[in-house]
Order: sequence, then C-alpha cells, then structure tokens
Amino acid sequence: MTTTDATGVAAAATHEAVRSPLREFWRKFRRNRTAMAAGFCLLALVLAAAAAPWIAPFDPAAFDYDRILEGPSAGHWAGTDAYGRDILSRILWGARISLSVGLLSVLLGGGAGVALGLIAGFRGGWIDSLIMRVCDVLLAFPGILLAIGIVAVLGPGVENVIYGVAIFSVPVFARLVRGSTLSLKRAVYVDAARAIGVRDRLLMVRHILPGTLPSVIVYVSMRIGTSILTAASLSFIGLGAQPPSPEWGAMLADGRSYIGVASHVTFYPGLAIFLTVLAFNLLGDGLRDALDPKLR
Amino acid sequence: MNRFVLPLLAGLLAGTALAGPAFAAKDLVVGLPDNITTLDPADINDTLSQSASRTMLQGLFGFDKDMKLVPLLAESFTVNDTATEYTYRLRKNVTFHDGTPFNAQAVKTNFDRLANPANRLKRQSLLAMLAETVVVDDYTITLKLAQPFGALNNNLAHPGAMIHSPKALETYGKEIGRHPVGTGPYKFVSWEADTLKVEKNDKYWKPGLPKIDHVTLKSVPENGSRIAMLQTNEAQFIYPLPSEMVKMVEANNQLELIDAPSIVARYVALNTMKKPFNDPRVRQALNYAIDKNAYAKVVYRGYAGPLDSAIPSKLGFHVTQPNQYTYDLAKAKALLAEAGYPNGFEAEMFGRNSTNFIRGMQFVQQQLSQIGVKLTVTPLESGVETARIWSVEKPEDATVQMNYSGWSASTGDADWGLRPLLWGKGFPPKFYNVAYYKNDTVDTAIEAGIATADDAKRAEAYRVAQEQIWKDAPWIFLGVENLLAGKSKKLTGFYYVADGGLQMEEADLQ
Repeated sequence: MTTTDATGVAAAATHEAVRSPLREFWRKFRRNRTAMAAGFCLLALVLAAAAAPWIAPFDPAAFDYDRILEGPSAGHWAGTDAYGRDILSRILWGARISLSVGLLSVLLGGGAGVALGLIAGFRGGWIDSLIMRVCDVLLAFPGILLAIGIVAVLGPGVENVIYGVAIFSVPVFARLVRGSTLSLKRAVYVDAARAIGVRDRLLMVRHILPGTLPSVIVYVSMRIGTSILTAASLSFIGLGAQPPSPEWGAMLADGRSYIGVASHVTFYPGLAIFLTVLAFNLLGDGLRDALDPKLR
Repeated sequence: MNRFVLPLLAGLLAGTALAGPAFAAKDLVVGLPDNITTLDPADINDTLSQSASRTMLQGLFGFDKDMKLVPLLAESFTVNDTATEYTYRLRKNVTFHDGTPFNAQAVKTNFDRLANPANRLKRQSLLAMLAETVVVDDYTITLKLAQPFGALNNNLAHPGAMIHSPKALETYGKEIGRHPVGTGPYKFVSWEADTLKVEKNDKYWKPGLPKIDHVTLKSVPENGSRIAMLQTNEAQFIYPLPSEMVKMVEANNQLELIDAPSIVARYVALNTMKKPFNDPRVRQALNYAIDKNAYAKVVYRGYAGPLDSAIPSKLGFHVTQPNQYTYDLAKAKALLAEAGYPNGFEAEMFGRNSTNFIRGMQFVQQQLSQIGVKLTVTPLESGVETARIWSVEKPEDATVQMNYSGWSASTGDADWGLRPLLWGKGFPPKFYNVAYYKNDTVDTAIEAGIATADDAKRAEAYRVAQEQIWKDAPWIFLGVENLLAGKSKKLTGFYYVADGGLQMEEADLQ
C-alpha cells in the first residue's frame, strides 16, 4: 500500500513538475475576478495607510473652526467634522490604526489558537478536553460581548482592544486547527514520519501544521474583517481608541450626533469600514476557493 | 363588509367619547430625556425629577421664569441682623390635594424631617444649619439656625425644600416618593417606569390656574425619538434639544425653539496643588489660550454664552469681571515662558464620558496644543469618576490634574455657586473643590456672604470673592450653555427656567 502511494506521488511529481501548490493556487485564484479586485483594493488601502503622512492632504488633528461640518468640496474631498478637521485625512490615518488592529489581533489570536488547536488535536485525552471545553465557554459568548468584557476589565485603549479581539479569536482558530489535526494525524505520511522516529514536537510543527495552513489562511483573511469591525464597535462605544484618535469607529461615534444635519461625518468612515470588511471577506472567499483541497 | 365596519367604527368612537375625558380637555405631553427617580423632592438629586415634583408640590419660596426669587407659600418674612433667626408669615386658605389645610405645623413637620440627618435625605444639606422650628401661631413660623446663613430663602426656594401634606407623610412614610401630595397646580394620578400623569387641581389657590386638564411627563431617552414626538404633535414640549438638532425644530413652522441662558457653568478645574498648575501664571496662560467664541461654536453650535466670572450671570450677586481673558496666544505663551514652561508641558484631563463632555475636552485639548500643552483626555464613567475624584480623602492623594466639569447652582444664589467649588474648606470628599483652591480672601468673603441676610453686605462679599478668583484663575473659564428645548406654538405659559427646571403652572394649549 505504502509503496504504491509513494510511487504515485513520485510519478505525478515528475510528470507535472510545473504544478507546485503555490502555482496551482495562483492559477485558481487569478481566475476569481472578485477576489482579485478585493485583493487590489486591500493592497491599495495598505499602501495608502502606509503613505498617509505623505498623501493625506491635511494633518488629521488640524482643526479649523471656520470650516466646521462642511460637506465634501474641492478642498476637503470628504468634508470636515465638528472641529473642522479634514475627514479624508483622518480616514487615511485611521486606516493605519484599523488595519494594524485587525492584523495584529488576528495574528495574536490566530497564533495562540493554532498552537492550542494543534496540541489539543495531537495530544487528545484530557488536554484536548480541557482546551476544547474552555474554547466552548469562550465561544458561547456573543463575540462582541466577550470583547467588551475583556476591554472593560483591561481598561479602554487601542492596545487593550487588540488583546480583547485576539482573545475572542482564539477559540475559533483552536477549533479549526484541532479538526484538521485530527484528520491529518491519521494520514499515512504522518504515520510514516512517526515510524522513522520523528519526535512529536517536530511531527506537529513540520508535518501537521503545514497541512492545516490553507484553512488557517482563509480564516485569517475573513477574521481580519471581523476584527476591524469589532475594534470599530468597541471604539464606537467609547472603549477603544480615545479622542482625538482618527480610528474609524471613534469617528463614527464622533459624528453620530450630527447625522441629521451633516451625514457625511458618519458616512465616509462608515463607508471605509464597510469596504474594508467587504474586501477582506471577498478575499477570504477567493482564497478558500483556491486553497480548499476538496474543491480541487 | 363595509356595512359592518361603519357601525363598528361609530360604536368605537362613541365608546371612546363616553369612556375618555370630554373632548374639550386640554392634555399636555412633555418629552423628557430620563426616567423620573422619585417624587419626594427632599430626596432628589436630579433636575428632571425636581421638575416633575414641582408640578404637584410647592415650597415657601420659588423661582419665577427669570430665576428671580418669589414667595409662594410664604407671604412675607423677617430676619435678625446675624441671619440666625427667620420668621415667616404663611399664606392662608391653602389646602393640600388631600384636603389637609396648609399651616405652620405642616411646615414644621416637613422642615424637621428634611433637617434630621437620621432620615438620610439627599437634600438634607439645604437645612443642615437648622437648629429649631417654632410654630408661633397657625400662620407664623420661626426658623432658628445653629449658625448664620444669609441665603436661607434661596435654600427654601430650592425644590428640595418643598412641602408635603403632613397627613401623606404620616400615611405613606418612606413610600412618600410614590404618593406625592402637595399644594401645587396639579394632582398626582399615576407614575409608572417612564410615565408620570398628573391632573388639574381644581382647588388651586391661584385663581384661574391651572388651565391644562392633564399633564403627562414621558421619558424618551433617544434624542431622535423625542424630536419625532414633537414633530408629530405627540408631545407639545421636549427637552433638552441637542444643539445639532435645532435646525429640525426651526424648519417646522408649527414648532418653536426655546433658547435661553442657563445657570450651568462649564469650566476646567485645575488642581492648584499640583505642578505646573500651582503657578497662577500657568493657569492664566491656559485661560488666554482658549477661544471662548470658538468653544460656544464648536461644542454648543453657538448656543452658549461666556462665563465671565466664577459664576454664571443668572446667579444672584454675579459681577462681570472687567479684565476678561480674551483669546491671545502670544500672551499665553509669554506667561508660560515666564513660569518656566517655554515649550509647554504634558498633563491629563479627566471628565465624564458623555458625548458633550468628550466634545468639550477634545476642544480644550486642541486649543491648548497651540501653546505646547499636550493633554491626554481620559473620559471617566461616573462610578470611576466618584472613586478617582470625589472620594479622595486627602488632597495629596488626589491624582486629578485637570477636570472638565459643569455646575448648576440650583438655589440661584452666589453661595451655592462658589462655596461647594472654591471654598478652602470644601475639598473632596466634603464638597467639590477639585481645584483644591484655597485663598484666604476668598474664604473670608464666602463665609461673610453667608453670615448675613443683608443684600448689600452679601453683594460686597461676593464681589470680592469673584474678583480674587478671577485673578487666581483656579479654573479655565469656558462658558455657560444655553437651555435648548422645542415646543409646539400652541403651548403658552410653559417655562424652561435657567436652572433647567420646568414650570407649567400657567401653561395653556390654544
């Protein structure tokens, strides 16, 4: 059995050497126009955020009391807020906060979740039960509520929002990775590795972890969207970024009282959140289509 | 089908007409921002519940629509030179809603109850100085005070000192807050979580009043819904009106905007015991660095006036200070440099976490950044605020550097505008002097002002106090917000008084 399989793989490798997994993924992903568009949007957003100091037309904190709550114009493309600050500049600067909060919290939460999921799935037994039951408890909370609770304990501020959102991402990743680990650990190549005496730790990191990565990558991209949304929500209710930070959720909260008279103050930050989250989700969908082995 | 519907409708209409009040009844609905907490004014801390209880209860004195002191259940008074003994002549032929006659005994019962610390009433401080109440005859009562107190009539005009029916106090005991019985223009009908209903008191002592049959006070916390109620005539008066929504009222020709100065002072208290705020030059510099007009414009959309002394102009004995801190960045920088901070400094500012406070704090933060003062704004939830600011036992333990605040002196008198906030003996937790400001001249003046009922002497004392405070600048003086409310044009005689209270005794619907 083992021999046949090994030959089969070797044969495929010689005949279709050009079809490396990465290349295969790119071939599939490229065909998905929506996901490509979303990817380009995000790339543009990341570049814009990185270049904010140079491309933002105004200082995000510069006030001008003679131009408060002005609608979009040639001078201020997205209008001005209650202090006469340029909304476009604030959105650009805010993109740095929102993107880094989204990315950092998912990387933190994802990292911890992947590690826990690997251990739970690989070790099994009481460790598995313990980790999974704790995850169940965390999952039982509606996401935002858990994040609110965590930030309420840690105190308001962007940094704590990152921790809060990270913690509430942990169980999702743990569960995902545990599932893949359970199936991968019975895979023949893992058995083979074990048979030649590869140690457990190496087995987990070298042989099982890479197998879980496609689903993790898909989830990371989707999760970043959720995290940005959660972080914005926390700032909106006053637990996240503190004034005068141009965080998008805080900008929404700032403009909320003027929604009847100057809707642009809430519209543009809202649009920024909407488009960013949408782009991450579309990208995630595209990644899943391209990476999912079942769809191959 | 139609044959059935019509008679049915007719029947329904007839039914309503029979069951409900007569068609000519005048029903007024008022939209409030919060729930009423209790209807026992002696135990009320919020203006809104005070307004609600003022529909039913009255005190010896009250305020007219311009916040001037007027006698209500008292007709006249005399006071001795040292302001320790007040004698009041009471109004005759007044009865409570339950038929009990109003007399000196009723006043004694109420004042003794309020003054007794054992009753733990939130407004006990109003009569804390009361030593003895003596019933001279049915319509004369003498209040003897333990120490001189020149502003007693103002304290008695405070809603906290309104008079309950002694019979109701006896019947309901601690439950009096749910069964208010007073002498006011309206009688209690019902009070549920968010709705208070009162009806016309036919035997009201002022002839011809009130003109409205039923008043409903309904709490609608969401600003948008409150406006909608006014627009659809579901309510005839709503308050407060957020300044950014003024346009919506102005755009409707059935509605009218109420815009009048309040007695709510807005300021930033500077902890004068902490560096760098212990240097008066620094505090003056901060005052020069704030554009007061911009403050009104940005934070209150223009619906605010200047705070041109330590107390708002609507309070008694207010004196406009001649040397205003007009916006002057060069002067501010020069003063800072003189004090040894040529490049500014960093500091933290506390304040409530409500929208308006945060907006005000951001404004101050922006303004001070122009002279190199970098502020961290820390909005506090009210529980945290109490712990961090108001419960601190020793001044040296205080962590507060700057506190964005507001104060409404609801006795309408300079004393309550100054003593709790700027008296050297009023540091937290006793009072609210969070600037930890202590100046002998001011302390002497504040104490002198309260030691006499002679208006000329009091005026002089408060003039001295205000002048010294202005010079020392323990606060950044920001402004006095306007009261904003929306009302139907059909509603007349309904007043929104400077202390934020509502007066509906003379209200009428056209």
